[in-house]
Amino acid sequence: MIEFQNVVKRFPDGFTAVKGLNLTVHDGEITVFIGPSGCGKTTSMRMVNRLLSITEGKILVEGRDNRDFPAEELRRKIGYAIQQIGLFPHFTVLDNIAVVPRMLGWEESRIRKRVDELLDLVGLDPDINRDKYPRQLSGGQQQRVGVARALGADPPIMLMDEPFGAIDPITREVLQEEFLAIQQEIGKTIIFVTHDIDEAIKMGDRIAILRDGALEQYDTPDNILAHPKDRFVRDFVGSDRSLKRLGLVRVSELMDPESKPLVRMRDSTDKARQVIEEHKVRSAFVVDDEGVLKGWVDLDGIRHAPNSLIDAMMEADFHEIGVRKGNTAREALSAMVARGFRITPVVDKNGRLVGSITLKALQDLAEQEWSEEEATAS
Amino acid sequence: MNRIAMLGGLIAGLGFFFLPTLALKPNRLAPGTSFNLFEFQGDDRYLVLFVLALLPILLSFRHDVESRGWLLVGTGSLLFVLTLVLPAGAGRLLLETPEAFLDGGAFIRNPRILPAGAIATGLLGAYVTLFAGVRDLAKVEVQTWLQALATWLAPIVTLLLLLNGTFDVYSIMVEFYANGAALEQKFVEHLMFVFISLGVGFVVGVGLGLWASRDERLAPIILYAVGIIQTIPSLALFGVLLVPLARLGDQSFLATAGFFGIALVVAVALAGSYALLADREPGRVRIVHLIATAIGAAVPLALFVGVLVSFVFRLANVGFTSGAYGDTTGTILVLLLAALATWGVGRWFVPDESRWRRGLKVANWSLSAATAVAVVVLFVQASGSNRVLGGVESLSALTIRDLGVSGIGVAPALIALTLYSLLPLVRNTYAGLNNVDLAIIDSGRGMGMTPSQRFFQIELPLAFPVIMAGVRNAGVALVGIGTVATVIGAGGLGDFVIQGIVNTSIDQILLGAIPAIALALVLDAVLRGVEGLLTSPGIRQVQQ
Ligand SMILES: Nc1ncnc2c1ncn2[C@@H]1O[C@H](COP(=O)(O)OP(=O)(O)OP(=O)(O)O)[C@@H](O)[C@H]1O
Ligand SMILES: [Mg+2]
Repeated sequence: MIEFQNVVKRFPDGFTAVKGLNLTVHDGEITVFIGPSGCGKTTSMRMVNRLLSITEGKILVEGRDNRDFPAEELRRKIGYAIQQIGLFPHFTVLDNIAVVPRMLGWEESRIRKRVDELLDLVGLDPDINRDKYPRQLSGGQQQRVGVARALGADPPIMLMDEPFGAIDPITREVLQEEFLAIQQEIGKTIIFVTHDIDEAIKMGDRIAILRDGALEQYDTPDNILAHPKDRFVRDFVGSDRSLKRLGLVRVSELMDPESKPLVRMRDSTDKARQVIEEHKVRSAFVVDDEGVLKGWVDLDGIRHAPNSLIDAMMEADFHEIGVRKGNTAREALSAMVARGFRITPVVDKNGRLVGSITLKALQDLAEQEWSEEEATAS
Repeated sequence: MNRIAMLGGLIAGLGFFFLPTLALKPNRLAPGTSFNLFEFQGDDRYLVLFVLALLPILLSFRHDVESRGWLLVGTGSLLFVLTLVLPAGAGRLLLETPEAFLDGGAFIRNPRILPAGAIATGLLGAYVTLFAGVRDLAKVEVQTWLQALATWLAPIVTLLLLLNGTFDVYSIMVEFYANGAALEQKFVEHLMFVFISLGVGFVVGVGLGLWASRDERLAPIILYAVGIIQTIPSLALFGVLLVPLARLGDQSFLATAGFFGIALVVAVALAGSYALLADREPGRVRIVHLIATAIGAAVPLALFVGVLVSFVFRLANVGFTSGAYGDTTGTILVLLLAALATWGVGRWFVPDESRWRRGLKVANWSLSAATAVAVVVLFVQASGSNRVLGGVESLSALTIRDLGVSGIGVAPALIALTLYSLLPLVRNTYAGLNNVDLAIIDSGRGMGMTPSQRFFQIELPLAFPVIMAGVRNAGVALVGIGTVATVIGAGGLGDFVIQGIVNTSIDQILLGAIPAIALALVLDAVLRGVEGLLTSPGIRQVQQ
């Protein structure tokens, strides 16, 4: 646990960069610091491992005032990936990652194993990259080595200052996913600085929005999206925050496992019409004998080929029309918009239909948010 | 197209065409008669030189870079060697019947052959061609050791031929045979000038550079001070030191030691007061206080280092050059080489995890320690020699001069040379340390490295190439300035140069100058080598 208590940072030139910060970073959570450039994210972070002195107030690390620890000892157990990466150019990738483990006196064989493990983790092939020097790596690769280095000695606390800033969106997404997956297992206490609200929503268990050295709002991503405290936060999270919020909700939370307007391929077109009318939908899903989604059929199709369901149906690959439980509601919405459906099938990994999700369910979610907001506003 | 190669060919070709190749002097003093390459009738081997000089011009139009590189290296090397070898043959021909080639009235006694302008341009052209070739090879990334081989083949062959006596016909060799023993001694003296002043300069200069890089208010003062030293003409600096050192030499040892003690107390007091008060003083007072502290520290330091260096030089001089302690010096050499070998093998040939690593480390440490012990033994032996403290009865009779300090001779030379070495050393240390990227130091701090870990593991290795460039600059400059030390009776290779000027004997001048040039080049190459070996590949400058 890291606790900021009335923390003030005034620089020697008189500029106050942090103005009384109160905030608790919970164990095993990722807390994202976000805010406009110059709002004091880096400054706040650097007071945790005492790279900057605290002018007023205090910061508790593991329940103790961080000034009670010897500075070096404190820093060795707090992994820090600095904004400018700062790899040692005269060290190989291996030596860079090994810095803290070596200071802690690890065995060389254990260090090597650890380095390979970390390189794998950040998506760099150890055999290719272990003995390279930083100048032989691209900016994004260097940044990944920087993250690996911060993780080096498996510190319980991590400070990560825009760790994925120099990485292309696709790789970044992969790294975010991987990082979240690891975090599931290792449960480190992390302060994560970013400029990117989408990244903040995705990575953060909690988000701290900073403005001019003060905390503007501190809450879970969902709450921040649902209830932005004021105009500043609302602007900051963007006008598409409803959509963003859908990005936080999984299909599994909104789907209806019972409601399945489905027909089998060997059923008749009459059966199909009946199902469509019964469920009050425009089209029914068509599955084979194993329950695997094969396509859909609507009244138009039945009118054109009244005698054979196979002729009336539109065949489609389940990868294209189905969404999975793990997808976000936002992705489900996107699929619906793309196909003009009001309902979209939810399939498992083999393509078997396990439920459906309706546009209505998504709208309800958004409505609930608005009504809540009105309730709090009044 | 390779313009440099063309330039090389032109230099050599035009030289051979227009300039005399050899001069035949009837005796040591008389002016000689010059001969062009085409004037040696009856022997058309010399035309080979001309053809070789034209070859690079043709080759420069070749497109395939790698084969062009090798051809240029071959041509350049051959031209280099033959430019020296072929005229030597012609010279022997001239010496067989000098009368035939000289005016009737010439007084012929020990006639001499002087290499003339065309040989100089020939060598230059050959070197430029060689350089052009090596550059081509570097461009297509031929392995570095092959590049090095290509560069050094011609000089090595030349050296072997020199040892073989092929060039004995040239007058400089005649001069060398006449002065061989003296040359060796002067060379060692020169070497010691350079090493001792570079060594002391290194410690002081790097120390000052370090200090400057830690304290930004102090930096301009230090840099300015060492800069000013550099502007004093070397001859003047030698002269300026004459009087105070002569005075110092007259002092008795005990009185000087007393003065040293007092100076030391003052220095400690100043430094202590600065450490205690500086934070509370206004800026200007603080700087004055700082400068006073620096001067206070400089006085005892300069005294101590000056006397110590002079004495060590005297010991080293007696120990290494008198020949009386051959066994000890031999042992030192062997131990040193063994220590270097174990270190090198451990570093480059034994993998990190190997058990041998530790053994080699122990061996290296013990050999290094043994080397140091042997040096001490040598010095103890040498200090027993008459030439060091001969005739001094008691401590109270001991003067500073007995320790080697005097207005003329080696002491002022070493002091002046040390002062000259400071600028490049201080400036480069300061620049090297100051230019280390702050983000890198910051990430070191963030990982919990202590200040000394940061200094030794980050700042120093990153600044190392820059510091080494300063050492190289200083070393090469010292070899050159060292030749001036002869005017205050310090000896060294400058002795030959001055004698040569007095006697208007070019041979003698060259006898001093060529070893000095060779020393400078070798020193530079060795220091580059050391720099290359000790610099991480991650920051090594990519060869252009
Ligand atoms: N050493 C310093 N002296 C004076 N002011 C400083 C110093 N370091 C930072 N500041 C100021 O403090 C404020 C906060 O800086 P900080 O680096 O924490 O911003 P940040 O939120 O991390 O911004 P960015 O997103 O651009 O990295 C800035 O206005 C900056 O100008
Ligand atoms: Mg920042």
